[in-house]
Amino acid sequence: MDGYLITILSNIGMVSFVALSAYILLLSGQISFGQQAYFGIGAYVAGIATVMWQWPLAGALLFGSLAAGAAAGLVGLATLRLSGIYFAMATLAFAEIMRIAAELFVYRRDIGGIESGPDGVDGFRDIRYFFANEFSPLETCLIVYALLATVLAILCIIERTRAGRMLRQIGEDPLLAEVHGINVMSVRMIAALAAGAVAGLGGGLYAHLMTYVEPKSFDIMLGVHALAYGLIGGLGTAFGPILGVLIDIGLLESTRIFHGYRMIVFGGLVAVLLIVRPRGLLDEVAVSRIRRALRRRRDAGD
Amino acid sequence: MLDVQDIVTSYGKIEALKGVTLNAAEGRITCLLGPNGAGKTTLMYSVAGVLKPRRGTIKLAGDDITGQSPAAIVARGLALVPENRLVFPQMSVAENLDAGAYQRRDSAEVAVDIERMYTRFPRLKERRAQLAGTLSGGEQQMLAVARALMSRPRILLMDEPSLGLAPLIVEEIFRIVGELNKDGVTIFLVEQNVHMALKVAHHFYLMEQGRVTFSGEPGKLAEDEVIQRAYLGTSREKR
Amino acid sequence: MAAVDLAQNTLDGLMIGSSYALLAIGFTLIFGVMRRLNLAYGPTIMAGVYLGTAAFISFGAPILVILAIVVIGAAVVGLYVERLCFRPFGEAARTASMVASFALWMQIEEAAMHLLPRHMNPFPPLLSAPPLQIGPLLLRADHLVMLAATLLIAGAVTYFLARTRFGLAIRAVIDQPRAAAIVGIHVQRVMMLTFVLASAVGGLAGFLIAATDAQVTAMIGMWATTKGLVAMMLGGLGSVKGAIAGGLLLGVLEAHAQWFLGPQVRDMVAWGLLFVLLAFWPGGLMGSKALDRTMAVGRRV
Ligand SMILES: Nc1ncnc2c1ncn2[C@@H]1O[C@H](COP(=O)(O)OP(=O)(O)O)[C@@H](O)[C@H]1O
Ligand SMILES: [Mg+2]
Repeated sequence: MDGYLITILSNIGMVSFVALSAYILLLSGQISFGQQAYFGIGAYVAGIATVMWQWPLAGALLFGSLAAGAAAGLVGLATLRLSGIYFAMATLAFAEIMRIAAELFVYRRDIGGIESGPDGVDGFRDIRYFFANEFSPLETCLIVYALLATVLAILCIIERTRAGRMLRQIGEDPLLAEVHGINVMSVRMIAALAAGAVAGLGGGLYAHLMTYVEPKSFDIMLGVHALAYGLIGGLGTAFGPILGVLIDIGLLESTRIFHGYRMIVFGGLVAVLLIVRPRGLLDEVAVSRIRRALRRRRDAGD
Repeated sequence: MLDVQDIVTSYGKIEALKGVTLNAAEGRITCLLGPNGAGKTTLMYSVAGVLKPRRGTIKLAGDDITGQSPAAIVARGLALVPENRLVFPQMSVAENLDAGAYQRRDSAEVAVDIERMYTRFPRLKERRAQLAGTLSGGEQQMLAVARALMSRPRILLMDEPSLGLAPLIVEEIFRIVGELNKDGVTIFLVEQNVHMALKVAHHFYLMEQGRVTFSGEPGKLAEDEVIQRAYLGTSREKR
Repeated sequence: MAAVDLAQNTLDGLMIGSSYALLAIGFTLIFGVMRRLNLAYGPTIMAGVYLGTAAFISFGAPILVILAIVVIGAAVVGLYVERLCFRPFGEAARTASMVASFALWMQIEEAAMHLLPRHMNPFPPLLSAPPLQIGPLLLRADHLVMLAATLLIAGAVTYFLARTRFGLAIRAVIDQPRAAAIVGIHVQRVMMLTFVLASAVGGLAGFLIAATDAQVTAMIGMWATTKGLVAMMLGGLGSVKGAIAGGLLLGVLEAHAQWFLGPQVRDMVAWGLLFVLLAFWPGGLMGSKALDRTMAVGRRV
C-alpha cells in the first residue's frame, strides 16, 4: 500500500472517533458542538504521557481517553440539564475555552536533550513515539483500525441491549422515557462519559500519528463536521457516522475529483441528501430493513 | 354550509380519520361528540386547512376547499377556535384581536369590531393591555372566540371550548355560542360536555375511532346513551 | 488613570458591541420564526460582503453602491439558505436543518474563496475623519457612525415589529405558529421574508464592520456566526432588546478583557461567561418568566 492511501485511511479512522462521539450524544437526543474538546484533551494528555513521562503508548492512550471522559463528566454535571440550543452552545463554549486554554498552555521540559512539550499557539510538536519505536505507517494504521473496530463492536453490542434501547428512547422523547421509569439524567451522563472517552481515544491516536497537535486541530470545524457525519451517514447504526466520514474524506477529499470545489459539491450534496433523508442514509428504517434482509438470507442459508 | 365527504387524514402511517362524512347546515349549531382520541381535533384541523387530508373533499358554501391553505380558508369565511385556545401568549389582548383580523384591510371597521368584542366580552376590555399568556383559562377562551370572530366568519368551528373551565364559565361560553348563532353565524362545535352540547345543538354527530357512528337531532337518543357512547365509545363493547 | 482606561474600554466596547448587536438581532429573528439554528448566517453575511468587496476591487464601485450590493447579496444568499435548509424541513427535523445550514456554510465559504482567493482584502473605509477628543477619551468617528447606524436599525426593526401589520405577523409566528396559521397568516411566507430581512440586517452589520476595519478577511463568516450566536445567547434568546443588550455586553466585556488580559484571554472570557450563564442562569440577561416559552422552544431545538 502506498503512503498516501495509508494516510487517508488513518485520517478516516481518527475522525471516525469524533463522529462516533457526537453520534452517541445524538442518540440520547443531545446536540453537542463540543466533542472536539475531548479529542483535544485526549491528544494533549496522551502526548504528554509518552513524550514527557515516557509512558508506553497503550497506557498513554488509555490515560488520555480516561482524562477526556472525566472532563466530559464534569462538563456533563454543569450542562446535561440543558437541552436543545442551550446544550449545544454550552458545549461549544466549553470547547472554545479548551482550545484557547491550549493556546495559552506552555509546558516545556528538557527530554533527552531536546526541549519538548506543548508550546502555546505553536501546539505540541515532536510526539515521536511511533517514529522512535520504528512503527511502519501500515502498522500504525492497523492500530487505529483495531481500536476503531473495538469501539464499534462495543457500540453495536450496546445498541442491542436494554441500555441501548433506553438511549434511543430518551433521544426520541425524554419526557416519555422519564414516565417509563428511565433515569434520563444518569443515562445521559453515561452517554456523555462514553462519548468523551471515545473522542479522547481518537485524539490520542491523532497526536501520535500526526506527531503533533495544535489548538487549531480541534476548533469548531471538527466538532460540527463530526455532528454532520452522523446525520449524513445515518443515525440508525454506529456504522452511519463511519459512512459519513467515508463519503466526505474517503470519496471527496482523497480522490480530489472536485479539487478546489469539494466543499461546493459536498455542501450542496449534504443539503439535498438531508431533504430526502433527514436522519441520514442509514437511518432507523434503512437499518431495520437491512437487518431483516440479512436475517432472511441467514435463515435461507440454514 | 360545510360539507365533509369521506375525509381520510393520517399522521404518518396512522389514519386518524378513516372516511368521515358530515355536514353543518347554514345558520344552525352542529355538534360533534366523541371520546378522547376519536379524531375530532384532527377533523377540525383538516377542515381549517392546517392538516392536509389524504382523501375526500371538503366544501364550504358549495366551493371545494380541500387542500387549500389555512389563510385561503379564513378568507372564505371560516374561523377556528382551536383546542386549548392557542392564544398568542406574549402578545396583548388587543394585539391578539388585531391578529384575528389579519386578513382584513378595513382598519376602521376592524376598530369598530374590536369595540364590539369588548362589549360582548367586558373582561377582555379590562385586560386589553395585558399579555394573553397571563389571562385565566376562561379569559383565554373568551379571547380565542373573540379573535376568531374578528375575521367576521360565516362559519365558526369551536374545538372543546369548555375544556378545563369552571361550570359558570362553561355556561357563559354556551350562552355566547347561542347568541352568535342568533346573529347568523353557523356553528360547528366539538364538545365533551354532552349535556350542554345537546341543549344548544340543532343536530349532532357521534364519532369514534376516526368514523362517524351516529347522526341525529337531540332527543332522538336518550342523553345518557349519548353520554355513554361519547365518553366510553361503543366499539369496545362490540369487540 | 485606571478610570480613564475603564471609560475608554467601555466606549470602545460599546462601539464594537453595536455590530455584535446587529448580528444578534438577525440571528434572533431567524431563530424566533424558525426555532432552528442557522449556522450559515455568518457565511451569508460573508457572501454579501465579498460580493461588495469584489465590486470595489474590480470596478472601484462607490461606497453606497457597495452597501447596496452587500445588503442585497446577503438577502439573496439568505433566501438560498432558507430554501435549501429550512423550507423543506418541518420543525421536527431541527438537527437536519442545522446540519444542512452547516453544509451550506462550507459551500458558501469555498465559493467566496473562489471569488477572492486572498486571505485579506481591502474594503472602502466608512469615512476618514480624525477621531474625536472628548476630555481624555478618544472616539473614532466611524465607530460613532456604526453605533448610530446600529441604534437606527435596531429602532427601525423594533418599530417594524411592534407597529406594522407584517411585524404583527412575524410576532404571531414567533409566539404561536399554529395559531398564526389559523388566523390566516401565511406562515411559510412570513418565515421566508423574515429570513431575508434578517439576512439583510446581517448584511448591513457586515458592511459596517468591514468599512470600519477598511478590510475583510476570510474569517468574517465564522466570526459573524460565533459572535452573533454568543450575543444572542447572552441576551437570552428571546427578543430584539435582549439581542442588543447581549451584543453591547459582549463588546464591552471583550474590550476590557483585551485591555487587561490580552487578545487570547479576551475570547476565552466571552465563552466563559456564556458557559457560566448557560450552566447556572440559562434565562440570559433578559431572563424572565415571559421567556419561559421561548426557553421551552430553545430546549427542544
Ligand atoms: N400530532 C399527532 N401525531 C400523531 N398522532 C396524533 C397526533 N395528534 C393526534 N394523533 C392521534 O390521532 C388520533 C385522533 O386524535 P384527536 O384528533 O386529537 O382526537 P380527539 O380530538 O377526538 O380527542 C388519536 O389516536 C391521537 O393519538
Ligand atoms: Mg381533541
